[in-house]
Amino acid sequence: MSKQISYLSASTLIATPEAQITIAAPRGRLSLRLRKGLTACDKALGVKLPRTIGARSEKNGIEVVCLGPDEWTIVTDLDRVAGIQSALASIYPDHPHALTDITLRELSFVIAGKSAMELLTIGCARDLASFEIGSARRILFDVATTTLWRDGENTFRLDVWNSFVPFIAQTLITGTKEITAEQAARATTT
Amino acid sequence: MNKYRVKGRGRVDTSTPVTFTFDGKSYTGFKGDTVASALLASGTHLMGRSFKYHRPRGPVAAGSEEPNALIGTRRGPGRFEPNTRATVQEIWDGLKTTSQNKFPSLKWDVGAVNDAAYMMFSAGFYYKTFMWPRSFWDKVYEPFIRAAAGLGVAPSEEDPDTYASRNLHCDVLIVGAGPTGIAAARTAAGKGLSVVLVDENTEMGGTLLSEPNMDIDNIPAWDWLAAELASLEAAGVKMMTRTTAIGYYHQNFIGMVEKLTDHLPNLPADTPRERMWHVRAKHVVLAQGALEKPLIFHGNDRPGIMLAGSAQTYLNRYGVKVGTVPAVVTSHDSAWYAAFDLHDAGAAVQVIVDTRSNVPEALRDAAKSRNISIKINHTVTATSGRLRIKRVRINPVTDGNVGRGEWINCDALLMSGGWTPSLHLFSHTKGSLDWNDDLSTFLPKDTPEDCVIAGASRGLWGIETVLADGAARAAASLAKLGVSADPQSYTVTHDRTGSGETMRELPTDKSAGKAKAFVDYQNDVTAKDLRLAVREGMRSIEHVKRYTTNGMATDQGKMSNINGLNIAADALGKKQPEVGLTTFRPPYTPTTFGAFAGYHRGDHFEVERKTQIDSWASEEGAVFEPVGQWRRARYFPQAGEDMDAAVRRECAATRAGVGMFDASTLGKVEVVGPDAVEFMNRMYTNPWTKLANGRCRYGLLLGDDGYIIDDGVIGRMSQDRFHVTTTTGGAARVLNMMEDYLQTEWPDLNVWLTSTTEQWSTIALNGPNAAKLLQPFVEDTLLTEDVFPHMSCKECTVAGLPARLFRVSFTGEIGFEINVPAHYGRTLWEQLWSAGQDLGITAYGTETMHVLRAEKGYIIIGQDTDGTVTPYDCAMGWAIGKKKPDFVGMRGLARPDLQDPNRKQLVGLLTDDQSKLEEGAQIVFDPDQPIPMTMVGHVTSSYDCGTTDRPIAMALVQGGHAKMGEKVYIPMSDRTISATITETVFVDPDNSRLKIQPQV
Repeated sequence: MSKQISYLSASTLIATPEAQITIAAPRGRLSLRLRKGLTACDKALGVKLPRTIGARSEKNGIEVVCLGPDEWTIVTDLDRVAGIQSALASIYPDHPHALTDITLRELSFVIAGKSAMELLTIGCARDLASFEIGSARRILFDVATTTLWRDGENTFRLDVWNSFVPFIAQTLITGTKEITAEQAARATTT
Repeated sequence: MNKYRVKGRGRVDTSTPVTFTFDGKSYTGFKGDTVASALLASGTHLMGRSFKYHRPRGPVAAGSEEPNALIGTRRGPGRFEPNTRATVQEIWDGLKTTSQNKFPSLKWDVGAVNDAAYMMFSAGFYYKTFMWPRSFWDKVYEPFIRAAAGLGVAPSEEDPDTYASRNLHCDVLIVGAGPTGIAAARTAAGKGLSVVLVDENTEMGGTLLSEPNMDIDNIPAWDWLAAELASLEAAGVKMMTRTTAIGYYHQNFIGMVEKLTDHLPNLPADTPRERMWHVRAKHVVLAQGALEKPLIFHGNDRPGIMLAGSAQTYLNRYGVKVGTVPAVVTSHDSAWYAAFDLHDAGAAVQVIVDTRSNVPEALRDAAKSRNISIKINHTVTATSGRLRIKRVRINPVTDGNVGRGEWINCDALLMSGGWTPSLHLFSHTKGSLDWNDDLSTFLPKDTPEDCVIAGASRGLWGIETVLADGAARAAASLAKLGVSADPQSYTVTHDRTGSGETMRELPTDKSAGKAKAFVDYQNDVTAKDLRLAVREGMRSIEHVKRYTTNGMATDQGKMSNINGLNIAADALGKKQPEVGLTTFRPPYTPTTFGAFAGYHRGDHFEVERKTQIDSWASEEGAVFEPVGQWRRARYFPQAGEDMDAAVRRECAATRAGVGMFDASTLGKVEVVGPDAVEFMNRMYTNPWTKLANGRCRYGLLLGDDGYIIDDGVIGRMSQDRFHVTTTTGGAARVLNMMEDYLQTEWPDLNVWLTSTTEQWSTIALNGPNAAKLLQPFVEDTLLTEDVFPHMSCKECTVAGLPARLFRVSFTGEIGFEINVPAHYGRTLWEQLWSAGQDLGITAYGTETMHVLRAEKGYIIIGQDTDGTVTPYDCAMGWAIGKKKPDFVGMRGLARPDLQDPNRKQLVGLLTDDQSKLEEGAQIVFDPDQPIPMTMVGHVTSSYDCGTTDRPIAMALVQGGHAKMGEKVYIPMSDRTISATITETVFVDPDNSRLKIQPQV
């Protein structure tokens, strides 16, 4: 379980023909909460806040996902966090909201490969097939509350709080080995 | 090939011999054999001893319902499993199996003395026999029961196998791949739906595997089966064999266990032994078929006596004759076909005994054409043969009178008492059942789940009928999913339809009171046990079951429930539904703990959260302790130090120089918004309105009931932004409670909560040199009493990192908590560590933290409080904003019993003999009172490793605040300790040590 993870640089945990798990380099992350003044926020941010839960939008290197009725996560380059903070601070008096820096609260696993979706079923109870490309959800993965992003047919991102990362990494590595062995065995019997 | 293996029959691969051992003796079977079929092929029926009477037993069935043939299986060190059903375990080269419940050997077992003493072990014998004398319980009865109870030997080694789990979503799940399930899958396939077909057996086909002699749509059954399965697979149906649907839970959630390696000679790498599937199906088709019932007669349990349908399975699926001169006894048509198949395979069927008076002409003709002797209107009254049946005694029955017995030689006795629909999963859905008098069985009625039940599991019989039903029921399921389907029709030639009668104990000319006529083979329950239970006052089947243990073994009464019910109902003179049916509960078949644990075992059992600084502590040899989900460094022993020595050193060094502590696990919640201060006022007991920006305050959180549930230091970072800290273990609970209030009680408040526990690494510096150590790292703030006094907070730069700096103390020393973005925690820690070397820096753990805070009288939630302690009990009335209109717990605190001056209150204790008290020890006022004494409180915290030169303790004592200086007594097992009640602050009561002295 004591999988040593480098938190500050990208690294590959495991790569097989079935799935490749990497730790992404840190990105700037902000949690945005508000109920009213969405339009003003869109303008200040330069990207429209998606209005339905699970939907994402992206513009000018700023990616936003709606995770709840009044909750968004903003992902961007590390050096753009301060700019977003001051842009939103300027509308705060008229459009009160909560913006909290969560840049280093968590990190992202990138899970790719032809068996990526099958791999995720070891820890995710939701129906991943019904999960549109380009959306994201807050899900329970194994023992951790996470955000799962579907970036492509076989590409996912899983945001996990720091202290859960070694455990989840181990789950994903075990699962990758299992699925790789399973597919290899299937290939020899057929 | 020996005389029991039939050439040209069966589906085993006779070109691939497989060698395994049973009780040390080597046997050879073929690929595809089970342990049972391979042993039967070598003429061995004796496979085990029964649970209670240690009677010799052989397999009575051929599938997972087997109650008798339970064996131990071994595959090298650690891989031993008891109670494996020999009828399910596939053989592979090198498999080692052993019989159970025998000593010294299977053929000669001393435990069989119980059989002779059977009158002693009648129903309820546990309740009767072991009642007296009372003194025998501990030394005689309990050890005896424990030794006698249980089947097989529990594994003693750690299981080296791995287990897995997956989630699966589908539109239609079909449980059971017999003809019904296959027809259902055919109907659902190719319509754009995700369809899963699951079967517990090695291969799909169900009954068809045992019935090769019919044609379906003019194609021989097995050819049809192969083509159909290939076509379903091609149509995208997910086909899962060796997979048992073990339980049906709410909202179409089905648990399934897939066995992946138990049949393989070599274990493949990275492959789990079993996988638990968590299936959420939109619709479920249950097609589990029916299970054959035994007949109940004296001696119906000898090796060689088995269900007729199972004998047919051994013959047609495995190519094994279970006997060369078998006899048949039945009350159902189906056993006649088993007799015919055995005859046609070369066995000399000695007799077909049918308890009924009316048997279809066609069957009798078919028997006559084979020269098989027929005994209609006959009964079986006895069997003989010690380790295998040798003879069966049959008698004619005329108008209820049993005539003279006649012994017939045989080497196997095939029996059929009819068939019981398999309703297990249907019952898990809380489906209601209807009693059917004609079939003498319960049939499925309504279920609250999106589920249909089809084929033999709803009492239908005949392949053509169940094929049609599987298709029709699946079509009904599809209709609910908005998909229309034309159910295919099937024509079956040589279909073996039939019917039967339900019997209780077969009529006998012998004493029924002495008959060993078994109903439940696995728990050794006989028909007379059931009747005795009724005579002794049991009325409900639930009571009869518990009194006799009928149906309570690991087979869950798959064979015994209906027979038991019929007998109990007869004894009560009631209809069966009035007596009731016991509830089926998951799992359907015995399931390994490993399958339930899945990946969560060994070092992956539970998440162990670690801070960014944990690795440093680990390298320094820290001893850790779990706190909630976190692991925290408890102390840092140096060479030769035990915990007390290490803690004494850490405490002294912190008070003398500076101590460094990883406080990253503290919960942190960012409270932001225009109404943040109002929210804080309502949530915490303290007043927050006047707290200036850049200041912090100790906050106390109560439940509705007025009791303390959490605490922590809270900083006001700006007008609308609070940095709230919680206890380590309380973080999630506190955030949930806050969200709960916010969303349900105060949705009007413009404030939002974000967990930032893991955004920050938090390092606490405490000690007279803390400011001196930290100052060089802080660029924009002077750490002086004037500029940054106690209880200040500030966003600033520490060691070049953006930080939130708090001036707080949980030790009574000058203290700082430095929060930096999580990943930089260890970097900062190492810099401080290295800079602190000249200042006497010491890393300390949670134990020292506990001691130092206790010396200052600071409470630990959950140690000095237990959910029944109010702020006033802790003398913390100062933390309550008296002028506030409301806060969570205010009404609770106003309750009269929470204001009682005689409540247990937190005080300090100093022992008169300078000994250290036990935490948790009970306290009394008068040590000379008679036992049981009146206990007036208990010790909550106690330490003697601190800096006070004597042990200190905190305790909750009745009315303690008004008893300063008075004596209390702590009775221990060896002596009574006296102690004096004091204030809780033992060090620096006027807080002079908190002040930073001006630099000279």
